[in-house]
Amino acid sequence: MAEKPRIKLPKTAKKGEVVQIKTLLSHTMESGQRKDASGNIIPRKIINKFACTFNDKPVFSADIEPAVAANPYMQFAARVEESGTFKFSWTDDDGTVTTAVEKITVS
Amino acid sequence: MTGLSRRTALAVGAGGAALALIGNIHSAVAAPKDAEADIAKFTGGKTAEKGKITIDLPEIAENGNTVPLTVSVDSPMTAESHVTDILVVADGNPRPGVATFHFTPLSGSAEATTRIRLATTQNIVVVAKTSDGKLYTGQKLVKVTIGGCGG
Amino acid sequence: MIFGLGRAAGIGLLAAIVTAPAIAAGPSKGEPAPLDMGEAAAARPWKRYGGWPKRDMSKFNTLAKHDVSPPGPTEPRKLPSPITGDPDKGAKLVADRSRGGSCLACHVMGQAGKADLPGNVGPDLSEIGNAGRDDEWLFNYVYDARVYNPETIMIPWGSHGLFNDEEIGHMVAFLKTLKAPAKFPTALDDPTKRPPPVETRDNLDPFVNEAMTAVERAETLFAAKGPSGSACVTCHADAKASFSSWAAHMPKWEPRLAKVMGVEEFITRHAKATTGATWLMQSDENLAMAVYLRHIANGEMLAVDTSSPEAKAAVERGKKLTTIKLGQLNLACMDCHSAEKGGLKWIRGQWLGEQRGQLDHFPTWRTSLLQIWDIRKRFQWCQVNIRADELPPDAKEYGDLELFLASANAGLKMNVPGIRH
Repeated sequence: MAEKPRIKLPKTAKKGEVVQIKTLLSHTMESGQRKDASGNIIPRKIINKFACTFNDKPVFSADIEPAVAANPYMQFAARVEESGTFKFSWTDDDGTVTTAVEKITVS
Repeated sequence: MTGLSRRTALAVGAGGAALALIGNIHSAVAAPKDAEADIAKFTGGKTAEKGKITIDLPEIAENGNTVPLTVSVDSPMTAESHVTDILVVADGNPRPGVATFHFTPLSGSAEATTRIRLATTQNIVVVAKTSDGKLYTGQKLVKVTIGGCGG
Repeated sequence: MIFGLGRAAGIGLLAAIVTAPAIAAGPSKGEPAPLDMGEAAAARPWKRYGGWPKRDMSKFNTLAKHDVSPPGPTEPRKLPSPITGDPDKGAKLVADRSRGGSCLACHVMGQAGKADLPGNVGPDLSEIGNAGRDDEWLFNYVYDARVYNPETIMIPWGSHGLFNDEEIGHMVAFLKTLKAPAKFPTALDDPTKRPPPVETRDNLDPFVNEAMTAVERAETLFAAKGPSGSACVTCHADAKASFSSWAAHMPKWEPRLAKVMGVEEFITRHAKATTGATWLMQSDENLAMAVYLRHIANGEMLAVDTSSPEAKAAVERGKKLTTIKLGQLNLACMDCHSAEKGGLKWIRGQWLGEQRGQLDHFPTWRTSLLQIWDIRKRFQWCQVNIRADELPPDAKEYGDLELFLASANAGLKMNVPGIRH
């Protein structure tokens, strides 16, 4: 069963406010540099891209290397001028994309 | 959604950590020139000016597996003047690249926090690019603890 | 009713006869909680965790066997003088972390190991070359310092077989070259100036502490029916009410088992006896439940019951266990965790804490390993690290040790799951 990413941001904000967003996805972020007990390299498998949009406009994104720790955590900000929907996406090396949405009401 | 549940991730992570006890995770040592190459690719070979960048890292990390890092750049983050990209490299890791963060005026603030892996004591180098073509850089040394009882 | 999980099934709980609990009535006051009385609450035969060093340390003391290690010498070894050693080889050996952590774990030694985060459990040896010590004395101090000081915590590197005579000769040659104070690359490298670590992360924030997922997991486990058809909630409708302070009083002397029982062993035995679930110690389910039952009691002060003669005796046994020399490194708990000896000092880049403060946050998330560790696993790791064989997590010796530790931590507020390196 797929696990939901953790996301934390305020439900409401004032127009023009800069809000803080915290995100975390459970993922081993296998670096591709480690060896197993038999000395074989464990293949790389990481989240290589994270992106956040608001009402389909880009807010923040990150190109991620294996040096980002397991269970990748991203905290960043967004300036909100209107009510709308944040969309989040995490792209795995194997091509799967985990997505999530959160709404915010701006007054 | 990925097929990797939190529980699976935990289990795999635990196994992976156990493996790390057997073999050194990062056996190779990067030449700082690899870091320089990453930076040159980001800047297009231009020289970045020192300043405007704050790097928040522990002075000493009790392990290199999950070191909290916040980078921020002093910028108004308006449509006219904002930070577009921040490159983070770790010059002592076997592969120096850590992450590149991309911002827009909607970001409101040129700041990002994540957690990183560091093979050893080293410099974290940050380079920022702005919408008006300026480049800024900063760096910070982080010591990574050496364990006591050894192998 | 018979729970037939025997050795044949590869599970440590032997078939046991227990009284069927009065499920509909819920837990009754005064009646002891039903426990499965199988022989073991953890896997048998106990097998060391995957990835941990595979070393047979059966020639050295464990917490269960105290008279295995070879006795210390009565006379210094007589050696042809001067000792011929190669100081360059010695410089490499003193920094070799593969055999017990290296000399730098406990000593500043000039520029050895580039003076990178040396420890200060032992004296600064940066100027030992000026001290006028002869070769034989230096050799014997490394080989087995107990010949000069029976109370020393110095590891008997030679007599416990970690380094041979030739290697110790190289070390002696190197020690004689040490004649100037260390120049540290940064202030943090100087153990006398390095600030002790202070844990400031919000351990109850799931964005910070992955172990908080165990709380969510345990809530599901608590409601899930076991093989007997009942669940934890069948008797404990409100976990938070039932267990609001329970874990703060654990571990406790358990007369039915004639040993000290901690939260984890209780979970195994009580679940087996009631829901029929097999939640052996160190299983994911057991760890999740152990985190949960302590998390519910967060803020409560640790207050174990040591009033009975049996509990008093267990505390005394636990206290005694902390002074037993263990393993190839020949270290007792107190050698590293009492301020009179190695406690409140640096072992290389790691701070050695005292006993107080070592329990209130367990089980804890270990960021270096991405694992939840309960206190028994922490005990086991300490032993494997000092090159002693560990005991199974349900060993009675660990029970005594845990009760002693809990009594030494009385009054500290529970804060679970913790987060540590």
